Amino acid sequence: MTVASQVKQSLASLKSIHAGLQQIALSSTDDYAQRTFHEAVMVTEEIIADLKKRIGQLEREEPQYQGK
Amino acid sequence: MPIWLEASIRSVSILIGLFIITRILGKKQLAKLSFFEYVVGITVGDIAAAISVDLGINLREGIPSLLIWSLFPVGISYISLRNKKFRDFVEGNSTVFIKNGKILENNLKREKYTIDELMEQLRKKDVFRVADVEFAVLEPNGDLNVLLKREKQPLAVGDVFPNPPAEKEPQTVIMDGRILDEPLATAGLNRGWLKMELDKQGVAVENVFLAQVDSYGQLTVDLYDDKIQVPQPQAKKLLLAALKKVQADFELFALETEATEAKQMYERNAKKISDMLAKIEPLLKN
Repeated sequence: MTVASQVKQSLASLKSIHAGLQQIALSSTDDYAQRTFHEAVMVTEEIIADLKKRIGQLEREEPQYQGK
Repeated sequence: MPIWLEASIRSVSILIGLFIITRILGKKQLAKLSFFEYVVGITVGDIAAAISVDLGINLREGIPSLLIWSLFPVGISYISLRNKKFRDFVEGNSTVFIKNGKILENNLKREKYTIDELMEQLRKKDVFRVADVEFAVLEPNGDLNVLLKREKQPLAVGDVFPNPPAEKEPQTVIMDGRILDEPLATAGLNRGWLKMELDKQGVAVENVFLAQVDSYGQLTVDLYDDKIQVPQPQAKKLLLAALKKVQADFELFALETEATEAKQMYERNAKKISDMLAKIEPLLKN
């Protein structure tokens, strides 16, 4: 497995975590839990943005990995 | 009118009357019966029995007596709701038996309590050493309530975890195969969500005997058919595991990469995830 595909896999897991957190934030009834989960959702959004940037760099440096 | 008919009519009408009176008296009486209320209850029952069987008693004499005996306590509780002095007079005061860890002998004497009886009451509360008690009070209804010294008090969740995650009461959303809309709405959910969750677990509404949803939106079901194994809700645990995996991945990438900028980015994000994990792990972990 190439580095680029590993990073892409991580991105996919992060996206799934993002969705899971969002869902649990919406279905929690406790205020504190809701807030904490929402904060976690924001953090994952930041990380996803960072990771997408890194994938862009990887693909530019090594075009043979594009789309893999 | 034949005697049996008269007795039946009396019995049925008094039964209905007593039923209404007990509904008026409310449920407080059941939980906390003072001696006065206890006596009143017995007397009301006795009068009712006498009226319904003893045809020699005129109904015009019996019913007022029954009404007075049953409505007087209602009046008393009505007044004592509003007046503290009256309440103390009617319901009595509590007596402190142990204060600052010391037994108050005079109060024991006043309530005609021997030290043996006090120790028996303490043992009922699982206290075998009087020295462990900070404060004990005899309530007007005869119960002894005990506050243990701080170091002898049982461990609570809050002592171990400073901010334990709150847990609201679960809502029962399916009973006897029928969806209950009101609790579902209280939990902020709807039938569509419930159908989806049931589909996820692979069960039909008609097969569900009982389904409850907790404050994190997790659904647990009990089926009519006890041979079928229902999976426990896993969403929270899976989420936690996925988060930990991504955090580990990031640390790995940070070690592997040679570009300084990317290394810093991975390290920063690994740190972010572990900070976030510290916050939400207690919430996901049950």
